[in-house]
Amino acid sequence: MIRQYQDLLWQSSLRFLLKHPWHFLLSILGVALGVAMVISIDLSNSSAQRAFSLSAEALTGKTTHQIQGSGDFLSDQVYRDLRLTTGYRNSAPVIDGYGTLQGLDRTFQILGVDPIAEGPFRDFSSQDGGIDLARFITGQPTAVISESVLADLAKNIGDSIQVSVSGRLFDLLVVGAIETDDKRSQQALESVLLIDINIAQQLFGMASQLSRIDLIIPNENEESIIASLSAGLPVGTRLVSTSSRTDILSQMTRAFELNLQALSLLALLVGMFLIYNTMTFSVVQRLPLIGRLRALGVTKLEILSMILKEAVLIGLIGTILGITAGIGLAQFLLELVTQSINDLYFVLSVQELTIEMALILKAIILGLGATLLAAFWPAREASEAEVSTVLRRSSSESKLVHRLPITATIGLAIGLAGGGILLLPHGGIIAGYSTLLFVIIGFSLLIPSLMVGLAAFMRPIFGTLNGLIGKMSVRGVVTELSRTSVAVAALVVAVAASVGVGIMVDSFRVTVVSWLESQLQADIYVQPPSAVARKADAQLQTELVQLLKETEGVESVHSVFSEDVMTTFGSSNLVTTSLGVKASESYQTKELQDGFWGQFAQEKVIMISEAYAYRFGIGIGDSLGIMTDKGMQYFPIKAIYFDYASDMGTVTMNRSLYDRFFGNRAISGLALYADDQTEVNVLVDRLRDRAAGVQDVFIRSNKGLREASIEIFDRTFTVTVVLRLLAVMVAFVGILSSLMALQLERAREHAVLRANGMTPGQLWNYVITQTGVMGVIAGVLAIPLGLLISYVLVYVINLRSFGWTLEFMVSPSLLIQAVALAVVAALLAGIYPSWRMAKANPADALRSE
Amino acid sequence: MKLSFWQIITIPLLVGLVLSWILFSEPGAEIEATISAAQALSGGDTEGYIQALGPREFVFPVDHGAHPGFKTEWWYYTGNLFTKDGRQFGYQFTIFRNQLSPTEAVNVLIDPKIVRTHNLEWNTNQLYLAHFAISDVLKKDHVFDERYSRGTAGLAGASVDPYRIWLEDWEIIQVKDSMASGERFPVRIKAEMVNGTALDIQLSPQKPLVLQGEEGYDKKGGLDGNASYYISFTRMQTDGVLQKDGELFAVSGLSWMDHEWSTSALDSGQTGWDWFSIQLSNGYELMYYQIRNVNPDLAPQITGSLIAPDGQKRDLDQGEVRLEVLEYWTSPHTRARYPAQWTLAIPSEELEMDVATVFDDQEMTVSVQYYEGALQVSGNFRNEVIGGNGYIEMTGYEQE
Repeated sequence: MIRQYQDLLWQSSLRFLLKHPWHFLLSILGVALGVAMVISIDLSNSSAQRAFSLSAEALTGKTTHQIQGSGDFLSDQVYRDLRLTTGYRNSAPVIDGYGTLQGLDRTFQILGVDPIAEGPFRDFSSQDGGIDLARFITGQPTAVISESVLADLAKNIGDSIQVSVSGRLFDLLVVGAIETDDKRSQQALESVLLIDINIAQQLFGMASQLSRIDLIIPNENEESIIASLSAGLPVGTRLVSTSSRTDILSQMTRAFELNLQALSLLALLVGMFLIYNTMTFSVVQRLPLIGRLRALGVTKLEILSMILKEAVLIGLIGTILGITAGIGLAQFLLELVTQSINDLYFVLSVQELTIEMALILKAIILGLGATLLAAFWPAREASEAEVSTVLRRSSSESKLVHRLPITATIGLAIGLAGGGILLLPHGGIIAGYSTLLFVIIGFSLLIPSLMVGLAAFMRPIFGTLNGLIGKMSVRGVVTELSRTSVAVAALVVAVAASVGVGIMVDSFRVTVVSWLESQLQADIYVQPPSAVARKADAQLQTELVQLLKETEGVESVHSVFSEDVMTTFGSSNLVTTSLGVKASESYQTKELQDGFWGQFAQEKVIMISEAYAYRFGIGIGDSLGIMTDKGMQYFPIKAIYFDYASDMGTVTMNRSLYDRFFGNRAISGLALYADDQTEVNVLVDRLRDRAAGVQDVFIRSNKGLREASIEIFDRTFTVTVVLRLLAVMVAFVGILSSLMALQLERAREHAVLRANGMTPGQLWNYVITQTGVMGVIAGVLAIPLGLLISYVLVYVINLRSFGWTLEFMVSPSLLIQAVALAVVAALLAGIYPSWRMAKANPADALRSE
Repeated sequence: MKLSFWQIITIPLLVGLVLSWILFSEPGAEIEATISAAQALSGGDTEGYIQALGPREFVFPVDHGAHPGFKTEWWYYTGNLFTKDGRQFGYQFTIFRNQLSPTEAVNVLIDPKIVRTHNLEWNTNQLYLAHFAISDVLKKDHVFDERYSRGTAGLAGASVDPYRIWLEDWEIIQVKDSMASGERFPVRIKAEMVNGTALDIQLSPQKPLVLQGEEGYDKKGGLDGNASYYISFTRMQTDGVLQKDGELFAVSGLSWMDHEWSTSALDSGQTGWDWFSIQLSNGYELMYYQIRNVNPDLAPQITGSLIAPDGQKRDLDQGEVRLEVLEYWTSPHTRARYPAQWTLAIPSEELEMDVATVFDDQEMTVSVQYYEGALQVSGNFRNEVIGGNGYIEMTGYEQE
């Protein structure tokens, strides 16, 4: 009996949902959009992560430790000594670098190995793995690549491929293909070009040099082996564990990924508002029915569970649709994420999306959880419906109006608490996002009160503009505050999020542009193409440097060199500049000690970038330990400069100081100044002529480089901009759906108006004006919240993620855009209901109940 | 209407479920790659290599070094060493050179403009391989180790002056000696296995260099070019230390050195060889090998030489040597069945002896499977009772 009776309740639920398919569909859409955003970001992030760890796993093989030089190079004598004197045979020499295969526009990791020593290390690069020594080690430039790459290039074993390294093109003979029968390893090795170590030395200009030595040190007596090996190492080299090396790489992208994730959660938050909105609707609409049910003896708990069951159904369908859509979206986002990682951090090739069960589960929990959470209050409201009376909305409306001061106070308190979180020490990025969340929730709770205020302000204006209908429209927004406020809140949050992110990107861009202007003082810049756009990891040929310096029309020259060195804080990017005192013209300092520029040219001092100082919590007065060819050296930090090129931060020293401690003579960039008689563009052409055939390098004027840099900047923000657009879309669809539902809901009221003599045209006017008013209110309220969000993003999240000081830049067009967005969405939302109402016979609508 | 709405909802629901199910059924597997059949020491293609086509003039010490252009070469030292108490150890120490491709790999610059100032030390097509084994006769314990390296960058190689054949820290190196001549000088062998077994000995040739076969040109197969250049020190006084199982032994005894280079040796119908090197107690040495044919009816290809105490060599002709297997041993490691005991007779020299391995299991199961074992010899030579020691190398007994 009981079972049947419960089924009856469930059927009534279903019947209700089915009778309101639009409503039902829109709720599902709300959940689906939110879930799709979260899952797509998660999937693209995790696919990038997984591609990274898979390729790291394949390339690391069984390596446990590595010997590295002070910079990017290690003398091969270290390996000889290890083999001949120390006699440690679980060792393999490695040269690694990057290059581009002609015909495939992507970067490959070039791995130079001695396949004879490879056996214990990597499966695919050793004799055991099937490397045919007789064809591989011939002294001729040979290579082995993945079979799938060979297929992509439409080449076979025995054909030649061309690889471009630092702007130089080499022909390699393919003597073998890495065949893998499972997808995992295929993915891992798909961007690997395997060559003999001798060929690698030639490709990278590293005669007698290695990148590193890979070691396998067994777990038992690990410590004693490390101790004895370390003791035999020359000054300037060090033995590190492999995991610490890959950790550094994966940590690099942590802040980047966290920020993307936060943006996706913001979308889910907007989705929650939409669900809350639609659930409230369905409850309010059914209050008479629920009242009757209660009168018939249905318990509060049963009503609560009935509504929550509906929420589960909506949540489930929405989540599944969201996951499906999210996977599709992730395919697209993955490309953007990968591009950004490649521009900013390291070379990564992600060929396909990997879908992890854990992430899907997370999406299901989030989707269902958010739906249930959003549905809880409406459900509770329903369960508390009076038994005896058929509750009218007006009573709940008056209740809400009474509660307005309390709601506003709570909202304010939550907002302030959010601000308080920022004061917590060691709060980090998570605290920053918590603040953001608190601010958004707090502001949302203020929205009903703000709406009442704004409506009071707007009523006379609309009255003047649109007469009675104008006044009625505005009034209508406030009389049904319980429903309109949620719809408006959803709209405000969505629009504000897009405003906030927009302001943040703008501020960033303005800061970078003005920084580039001051940083780029020379007339012409020469750089070899490098694998990671924001890092100068390639070198200029010595011959070329000489050639360019001696070009007619060149007045003076300075050079830079960038390499990764080991410091007290792990691997860090060290930039050396040959600018002495004149460096003061290019570098904008945040802080510096008196007389720094004089010292910079002469003494053992360095400066560090703002991001570096922030990351490691160091500053002026501290010393930074750097592993040099003369062992660990401590360099006093005397200045902190602005730098927006790398969020990892950089350390800068004078070239003459560098040369005292490092043997490396390489140059990775050249800046030239034209003399008074020479036109810069003429000189650029002249230099390009001279470089032709020596090395394929970028020779760009100051303006050209600035434009190129801004282009890269814009590219790295593509993913953010896309996410922002998606959030706008969610907002747009959300507002469209909730306002449309709101108006459809009012069919009866509209019928009464029509019956009382309102013409279809006037009704049209009434509905459109009302949604328009809500749009305007939402747009206006989105501006302060958007500014708050952007403020937190610029001054809290950015600083805590990267340590950058940005100029706060608000462009009016962005704000106008936000209001326009809200109004347009709102107006569009009014079209269908008013069209339907104008067409319908008011008598039918009145008769329906 | 209601139904169709539900149908609309149900379809994506099912599709979503099915899709997600398919996506998760991806199996994980180990990363491994197969490129083509690897043959580190392939005999395969000999085109483009120098072949041993006839006798040649040897120049020393140059010819003690490497002969690039020939595909294979080895410096092969074996010996039987004894402690003061008479405890016997056999040893084998061989460094192989294998040229991977016929063209010379010297400074093939892929971009001459860029690297011209640098020395390409890692450039090579020479693969070096070394085998080191100790036969502990008392414990019947045979331990061995193998190494590989590219023959460049100081990691492995063969230099002439001073003579040094090395693979990492395993090496044969000339010892300074005022009495040394161009072809004859003492050397030191130094090697240690991963398990700690080690050898550090000094070897001094007691007799002049023997040019095996036809003045050092040794035909092995019927085809032209299936031959090698082959020189030996058949008696080298050896003293030094040997470490095994944590014990250090002062040892002395006799060693034998073979240095041989070729591009191809065997005809297609030839399966393997039995190769004896024996030092007799009366000052004679015997080198004798037979290369067996697939067809058992065909007479084996043989080379043999008897070295008199004064260093005079007498070549043994086909049919002069009678070899009969008395016992076999089946390897528990590879199931290969090797001869273990023979009678060897050279009637024309009134020599007849029993030859036996000092114990059975002296099989080398490294990248190449073969048998390299210490021998014990007793018999009669011109009515005189003799004894002796030696080494046997047997190949081609692998189980199919």
